[in-house]
Amino acid sequence: MRRIRSMITRIPWRYWRRLTQAAFLVAFLWLFRQAELRGDDVPGFVNLPFRLDPLIATSAMLAARAIIATLLLSLIIVALTIFVGRAFCGWICPLGTLLDWLGPIARLFKNRKGVGSRRWRPIRYWLLIAVLVGAPFGLPLVGYLDPFSLLQQGMTFAIDPALRWSADAGFGWLYFNASESVTNISEPVYAFLKDHILSIEQAAYIGAGISAGILLVIFLLERAQQRFWCRNLCPLGAMLGVIARLAPFGRRPMRSCKGCGHCAHTCRMGAFDDGQRLEPQACTVCMDCVDSCPHQIAQFLWFLPKKRAAAPTTLKGAPMDLSRRGFIGACAVGVALPAGFAAAQATGIAPANVRLLRPPGALEGDDFLDLCVRCGECMKVCITNGLQPVLFEAGPTGLFTPRLVPRTGYCEFNCTLCGQVCPTGAIQPLPLADKQQFKIGKAAFDEDLCLPYAEHEPCIVCEEHCPVPDKAIKLTEVEVEVETEDGPSTIVLQQPSVDEELCIGCGICEHVCPLDDLAGVRITPLNDDDAGENVSA
Amino acid sequence: MTEESDVNRRQFLEQVAAWSAGLAVAAPVFRIASAQTPAAGAASPVLAVATGKDYGALVSSVLEPLGGMKAFVKSGDRVVVKPNIGWDRTPEQAANTHPEVVKALVKQALDAGAKEVLVFDRPCNEARLTYKNSGIKEAVESIGDKRASCPFLDERKWMPVKIEKGKVVKEWRLYGDAVKADCYINVPIAKHHGVGRLTLGLKNVMGVMGDNRGKIHRQLGQSLADINLVIAPKLTVIDATRILLRHGPSGGNLDDVKVLDTLVASADMVATDAYATAFFDMKPEDVPATVAAHEMGMGEINLEKVKIVKV
Repeated sequence: MRRIRSMITRIPWRYWRRLTQAAFLVAFLWLFRQAELRGDDVPGFVNLPFRLDPLIATSAMLAARAIIATLLLSLIIVALTIFVGRAFCGWICPLGTLLDWLGPIARLFKNRKGVGSRRWRPIRYWLLIAVLVGAPFGLPLVGYLDPFSLLQQGMTFAIDPALRWSADAGFGWLYFNASESVTNISEPVYAFLKDHILSIEQAAYIGAGISAGILLVIFLLERAQQRFWCRNLCPLGAMLGVIARLAPFGRRPMRSCKGCGHCAHTCRMGAFDDGQRLEPQACTVCMDCVDSCPHQIAQFLWFLPKKRAAAPTTLKGAPMDLSRRGFIGACAVGVALPAGFAAAQATGIAPANVRLLRPPGALEGDDFLDLCVRCGECMKVCITNGLQPVLFEAGPTGLFTPRLVPRTGYCEFNCTLCGQVCPTGAIQPLPLADKQQFKIGKAAFDEDLCLPYAEHEPCIVCEEHCPVPDKAIKLTEVEVEVETEDGPSTIVLQQPSVDEELCIGCGICEHVCPLDDLAGVRITPLNDDDAGENVSA
Repeated sequence: MTEESDVNRRQFLEQVAAWSAGLAVAAPVFRIASAQTPAAGAASPVLAVATGKDYGALVSSVLEPLGGMKAFVKSGDRVVVKPNIGWDRTPEQAANTHPEVVKALVKQALDAGAKEVLVFDRPCNEARLTYKNSGIKEAVESIGDKRASCPFLDERKWMPVKIEKGKVVKEWRLYGDAVKADCYINVPIAKHHGVGRLTLGLKNVMGVMGDNRGKIHRQLGQSLADINLVIAPKLTVIDATRILLRHGPSGGNLDDVKVLDTLVASADMVATDAYATAFFDMKPEDVPATVAAHEMGMGEINLEKVKIVKV
């Protein structure tokens, strides 16, 4: 047996734990901030959290029915869990850290530690099984249940834009209304914030309220129990918990001492069963019980399995909190969800996946939906804010996948950032020359709106902006009669039309069309004949 | 524009800017007496043309017949050098002003005693890529003088401006730094353009226009003339070191680029635009903006009335 003691004996474990939590949270936020174009390029490591996440890795590989090399990094976290149990949740996970720090605000600083009601505990297993079963059957639920995905979505779509907007509004007000002595201070502060803390541009995302709402719900659940999400819902936690049971690591004693019960009351995860035994699948090794043990008895240590067998009282923890019946029930729910969605789509209740404008390099149709883990990195990094989250246009399985909305932002000709940051390869990283020939969709003119056709007025802003060197918009000169103040006269007008061979559907034409609402030229997804022509890496 | 009206205009603008909430639609709008280019009313505007491979030295040579930069920049002036930084293209692709030309002009303005020199544009492509790949941001920053900078646009600085003498554009939101400049130097690149036929000095003003700029393409020539009434550059230097013959204004194909190693400079923007049409085998009257500006008395389109000095 080897015991682990506080590294410098006098310092309680919780200080090391908080320091580590803070460090990983700062790292996560720093990676988040790096996922936008600030200098020459976006660093490749910005999607590191998604590649370290074993749930995302398992789900993506099941969906692809292949090993995805970039995601094998997640074995590090698996190894960590075998070594020290579910310590990822207690020391590393940024969502866990935020719940620890902000949770007290939600519950108005009341104490919600301790075991509480256990009735929601099985839900996390249902969700884990749903994720694992759904993945190979075309329902990638991981994007809606994984803590990294949810945190990234909420921050990208809602929190970051809101922060930037507030800063702009606040410093803008000072700029226009405050005296020079104030702006001499506020302007440099604003410049510093823009350079280092705030997003580099103001972005806006469709459906931001949904992701903000999800995070808000997770936050508000802290009112019921501390770390409610982690205890009862998080499928990543459930997965790590199962692995933790295999770890030759645990607490001595595993039981709460008779007549004391302090551990169970202090435990933020409520990781004790009815028999007062510690549950390895729930314990996040936060060390609160060790620090606060009134008799300084409790400690965590490694031991060989046969030692555990030899000391059942002190070293044997609680059994798995999923009975056989519960397991079957979980499988039933886990299979029912994907089956339900599939049935709904087959009967036409839910809209089937329609073809949308996807980022350049995206795989086709279902392949894309299977691999996309809805992490939001591509939408975060898109320099024109053109990639937006799909809501329900592609059926229930398309939520939070990316699509191009040209009126909001077009696909910049010389940019390949989305393919660079995608952690699973749902968007293939294309070399620039290939990307510049990849057809996202094709432009089509609406001659009832486009000015040279509908109003006989010159325009062709679309043609000016077309980035394809030989211009995918061709002009035809026509003579038209117009009414002027001096009577009818004939003018020569240039009327635009699309060269479908050249057009890559980047959307800049639709983006710059000066009409106020519907553009006179719009990008439409390719039909089946055209779609197969694209280069896949 | 006389010295006096320069000062009055600046004071007026600063006072109004101090209390206006520039973001509100109902913000007070600035009335600027329509400025006339210094050339208008002048007997015969001077136009300088210079050719050479050293673009830095070329800028000095082309300004000499006009009296050098000190004829335009006074000590303590707030100078705006407004190049074309419109497109995410490299200098070889001739979609933006050449960075060496911009750098030389900025240096000249600093040497003439400018208090600050701002270089900016409102690009058609994404700003970070455009400023970087055009080479212009780096060129300005390489001068290493704190007075010169190449900032991205600050959204708070847009201000609505009334254009009383405008024929089709009566009001537009323009960039504050451009409107308030003591000396605005216009440095376009000469390119082919679809609806405008060519994009030269007059069209370059679109870079300081806010809102939905595409709307003016319905009457592009007259609109450009109207906007230039209130921006009124003191000096226009057309960058014809290399020009874009086809598929402008964004280009992209090196086959469309022709290297001429030439600069054309004058205080009269209409004259420079008229002269530059020759590079494209066109006549001054072929460009609607030039004609419209001439008809409003903003400059001279007839090259016979222009004193052309070839350096």
